[in-house]
Amino acid sequence: MYDSIIPTADTIPVHWLWFQVLLILTFFIHMILMNFLLGGSLLTVWDYFTGKLEKKTSGSIPTLVALTVNFGVPPLLFVQVLYGHLFYSSSVMLAVPWILVVPILILAYYGAYIFVKRADKFPVLSKAALVFTSLSLLYIAFVFVNNNTLAIQPDRWGIYFKNPGGWNLNLGEPTLWPRYLHFLLSALGIGALGRAIFYRFSKMKDKEKETQIKRNLKIFAWITVIQFAVGTWFWLTMPKPVWLTFMGGSFFATAMMVTGWLLALLILHSAFTGRLTTAMILGGLEVLVMVIVRDLARLAYLKEVFRPSQLENVSEFSPLVVFLLVFVVGLLAIYYMIRLISKSKTPQS
Amino acid sequence: MNYPLWFLPQLGGGLLIAIIAVLHVVISHLAVGGGLFLVLTERKAVLTKNNALLEYVRNHTWFFLLLTMVFGGISGVGIWFIIALVNPAATSSLIHTFVFGWAIEWVFFLGEIVALLIYHYRFGKMDPKSHMTLGWLYFIFAWLSLFAINGILGFMLTPGKWIETGSFWHGFLNPSFLPSLIFRTCISLIFAGIFGLVTGAWLKDSEMRRTVFRLCARWMYIPLAVLVLTGIYYTRVISAESFANLFHFNRESTPFIILIIVSSILLFGLGLFTLVKSSQRIQKIGALVLVLISFGWMGGFEYMREIARKPYVLYGHMYSTGITPAQMEAVNNEGFLHIAKWSEVKALNDTNLLEAGSEIFRLQCMSCHTINGYNGVLNKSDQLTERGLEAMLTGMGKVNSYMPPFAGTSDEKRAVAAYIYRELQGKTTLPDVAFEPDTLLLDIPHFDPDSDDYVLLVWNDLGMHCISDNEKYFSFLPPANTFNAQLFIRGPLPKLVSSGITMEYAVEEGFQHPEYHSMFWDYDEAIFGADLPEGTGLMGKGVNGSMESHGAVFAAHLIPVVPYMDNKTYNPYPVFTITAKDKSTGDVLAVTKAVAPTSTEMGCRNCHEGGWARTDISGMADLTAINILAVHDRFNGTTLLEDAENGEPRLCQSCHADPALMATGKPDVLNFSSAIHGFHANYLSGMDQEACNMCHPSREEGNTNCFRGRHTQVGVGCTECHGALEDHALGLLANQTGIEASTRLSRGLEPVYAYSKEEIKPRMPWHMEPDCRSCHTNFNIFEDGFTGTAFNSWVPGKEALYRNRTDNHGVMCIACHGSTHAVYGAYNKYGLQRDNQQPLQYQGLAGTIGTHGQCMVCHTIEMSSSGHHRNMLNRDPLPMLVE
Repeated sequence: MYDSIIPTADTIPVHWLWFQVLLILTFFIHMILMNFLLGGSLLTVWDYFTGKLEKKTSGSIPTLVALTVNFGVPPLLFVQVLYGHLFYSSSVMLAVPWILVVPILILAYYGAYIFVKRADKFPVLSKAALVFTSLSLLYIAFVFVNNNTLAIQPDRWGIYFKNPGGWNLNLGEPTLWPRYLHFLLSALGIGALGRAIFYRFSKMKDKEKETQIKRNLKIFAWITVIQFAVGTWFWLTMPKPVWLTFMGGSFFATAMMVTGWLLALLILHSAFTGRLTTAMILGGLEVLVMVIVRDLARLAYLKEVFRPSQLENVSEFSPLVVFLLVFVVGLLAIYYMIRLISKSKTPQS
Repeated sequence: MNYPLWFLPQLGGGLLIAIIAVLHVVISHLAVGGGLFLVLTERKAVLTKNNALLEYVRNHTWFFLLLTMVFGGISGVGIWFIIALVNPAATSSLIHTFVFGWAIEWVFFLGEIVALLIYHYRFGKMDPKSHMTLGWLYFIFAWLSLFAINGILGFMLTPGKWIETGSFWHGFLNPSFLPSLIFRTCISLIFAGIFGLVTGAWLKDSEMRRTVFRLCARWMYIPLAVLVLTGIYYTRVISAESFANLFHFNRESTPFIILIIVSSILLFGLGLFTLVKSSQRIQKIGALVLVLISFGWMGGFEYMREIARKPYVLYGHMYSTGITPAQMEAVNNEGFLHIAKWSEVKALNDTNLLEAGSEIFRLQCMSCHTINGYNGVLNKSDQLTERGLEAMLTGMGKVNSYMPPFAGTSDEKRAVAAYIYRELQGKTTLPDVAFEPDTLLLDIPHFDPDSDDYVLLVWNDLGMHCISDNEKYFSFLPPANTFNAQLFIRGPLPKLVSSGITMEYAVEEGFQHPEYHSMFWDYDEAIFGADLPEGTGLMGKGVNGSMESHGAVFAAHLIPVVPYMDNKTYNPYPVFTITAKDKSTGDVLAVTKAVAPTSTEMGCRNCHEGGWARTDISGMADLTAINILAVHDRFNGTTLLEDAENGEPRLCQSCHADPALMATGKPDVLNFSSAIHGFHANYLSGMDQEACNMCHPSREEGNTNCFRGRHTQVGVGCTECHGALEDHALGLLANQTGIEASTRLSRGLEPVYAYSKEEIKPRMPWHMEPDCRSCHTNFNIFEDGFTGTAFNSWVPGKEALYRNRTDNHGVMCIACHGSTHAVYGAYNKYGLQRDNQQPLQYQGLAGTIGTHGQCMVCHTIEMSSSGHHRNMLNRDPLPMLVE
């Protein structure tokens, strides 16, 4: 039945691989930032309640919100180009929790500023705001997981007919909780790594800096240990054809999965031994590999239903060229702006 | 159709979009103009070494960041979310068409964020030049964001050549790109000034507050002139249809036009307070009030843009239902249910009418409408019957293009109407029951061919005649029947009598007091400008009186007879007795009887709700009249309902010219026939004769069955002469092409009896009617040249009308053949021979006077030639309706 309800997809202007590559790259950056933000917020809450709050990292939360949201835009755009017909359908099914993401994110953003700006004058309000922001981010992540799982399983779309009012979370989905947990742990792990990196470049005393880096790398390592179990749980809750894809069903998918496991092992080594640069590179690679694995899993889920290569290409290349040019100019401008900070130290009179 | 619909029966997705969009759009415009405001004010402060002003800029930057980056940034994503939920098809189209446009906009957004964050966090920690460079970069990125989004927004309203080429650049650099860009840039500068007041009003130093207020006032007022000019330019680049939807013929835009006008006056009127010295409290309140008004102002503009885009969500490419014009043919042929992906009901059958209607309603109508909330269908549909709803669906996208055309088969249309009426409105449509009146007895005057010297022929000039009998609200057909008569002196060569006689008429018992049963005399002054004595018609005639001589024809004009008898019986065929007397002696020369058709079976209630006014049989109910006026007011911006309720009902023909009432009307308004047929043809298309029956009292099962002439017995219906309603309307409208409404009413009509609209000959109502001879070539019944239709063969003018024509001897066609629509032998529902009394009186045969060799009715000798017209003697001796 579900075959007949899958909407017809629109045409695309260039070959689908362009969008696939752009999706993976921009989603990778978004994931790093999201992990820094969500993991950082949760770890800050933990620090707050355990009396270990260190203001230097927590002050960056509002900026991380801005950048995470900004870098969330292109993957959301490119995923809609490739999978829009599926994504819009699933979004409608959970429209209420989905649209609530917007006001909640706005409040979370303001909460982050209240947390930073009111910490001295109103510590309780500040603490409450941080907790609110963290809970909001958890909510948003949860809704995204619901939507993304529903989008790739048109066979579950029958739930719409029972409740067309947009209240259908995908709670019956077996991968939902392990997937959510997997992402949360990733956020905590990479968030801890991010904090370690932040301390590395901060102006703290070397000893204090070293302590913080080691502490956070240790968190990263332990989280990675737990990820072995949760990742496996997540993997095995997927439908058999999907998880078999990563067990020889597809050479590339299997290679990616094996790479992920190997990287995780290397992460354990580097993180437990306090090698930040290595851990940073490995952590980044691991996120990239997992982003690719995630996309491969999506393809495996949709194997019988849809492949992006089916999208009709109407071949209009010039907007892509202009985008790439604008992107380069934009990056140069950003580089220039950041350079301005370091070059210009004179206080304004 | 392609996507599931987020079912929001009370709230509606449209309202959600509006709320998020208005909030976002104000802030996002502020984000552009405010950037320039920041850097220019900083520059001013640095150049004038005004530290207080610099401090103001620093504080304003923080306020600006919280507002634009947090709320503005996230609510922008919010618009994306909400449009994808409410109209996924359109969102998908925009995303796929402009993916790199969006991507480019994202780069600008990123640049904005980085620049603003550095600008804020490094305020006072950099050299002024570098800091201002950041400010400039922020503004450039913000304006470029506007540049990118503006292209896509403009595309939605004016896609230009994209419709043909599908090219990104044609879509992006569309006709409204430039005016919209300048317009929005001006708005952003104005908002910079308004929001600058907010932080300004909270400054402690009063002198500084004044400085900032004066500065902000400049930002508010200087762009205003450009804004107004660009606004005018903007309205010039949108399509004529968009313009009409905004400013004519569509009341949906009225509240928003008012909103824009009022909020503009308030914004720029109250805004002048910034130039006046006032207390800080006033300044604070004033600043906040202006901010609030600016939301209303922007909301008005954005809603106007939305309305201009209707019935499309992507102009010319996708209707607001998410269906594209290209898909319409397949949907209309194969059925919406069959094609719609998210329909649980895949086909309409005998048992699932309401279920199917509900499904179509949900997937098609609810993209804009709720059930009983915002833009709710319940409120909008309660003035229509189930049949009326069906008609409304037929007419969607035609006269008023605000709503898209209904997509689906005619059965599916019926299902939606049934669902709205029965399920949502909770009403019941009673089946039509054929009306069967008692047969009324006749008392036909005696005629003795051997001894009588005179033959008196009398006829009502119209065989089908209605009264719009709710003068409390309006009138277009007063009680007004006109009798004509010709008196012949019998002889070998009979002569017409034109003088020396009196011709008296008297209505049958029970119809003596029309004033008891009609509101006509209560509103005669308001409607007709004449205070008539009760029971007297517009030409001074009562139901009893005498006729005047007009040469060989005697006439009594506008006799105010109504179909209601004193005993409350409805009878649309009162019989009059007409007596010709010698003027000098008073001797009775001849007596005959004729019917005055006067029906109040106005079909308005078939669609406009309200039921019958009188004893469940006939007459226009108040509710029907109210509903009609409400629709008229809504479409045309009139105040007819309010006027009527204030005791000033109108004659429709006071604006709409009408030869039937000799009303000249207004020159820029369609004549009555064109307007009423042209409008309704759009809603009653594809119905053949049933369309006529919807309004006129011609329905066989109805309480009048006014179309009762012998044509009905040989399978000739309304359309054989007049064409289908669409053709009929197109002919009338073609005669008034100089009036804009003619184009609007005719554009959605497809001819039925003609291959193209151009083929249909323009026609003046009442003066140019179907020519009988287009079928009755050579005055015969079936002969060479018989086309089977009289449509498009109009008589050249009034004098050539069947009811006005004579033979070479001055004998009127209608005198012998009977009234239009009731030509002898007619079949009258209230007694078979009620209309045939004269033929029966004179020849005992209910056909044409003199038919089948009955020349001796008038001639006292046998006649061997066709004296009145050719072929009149060539009849097979098949008597009709002999009684």
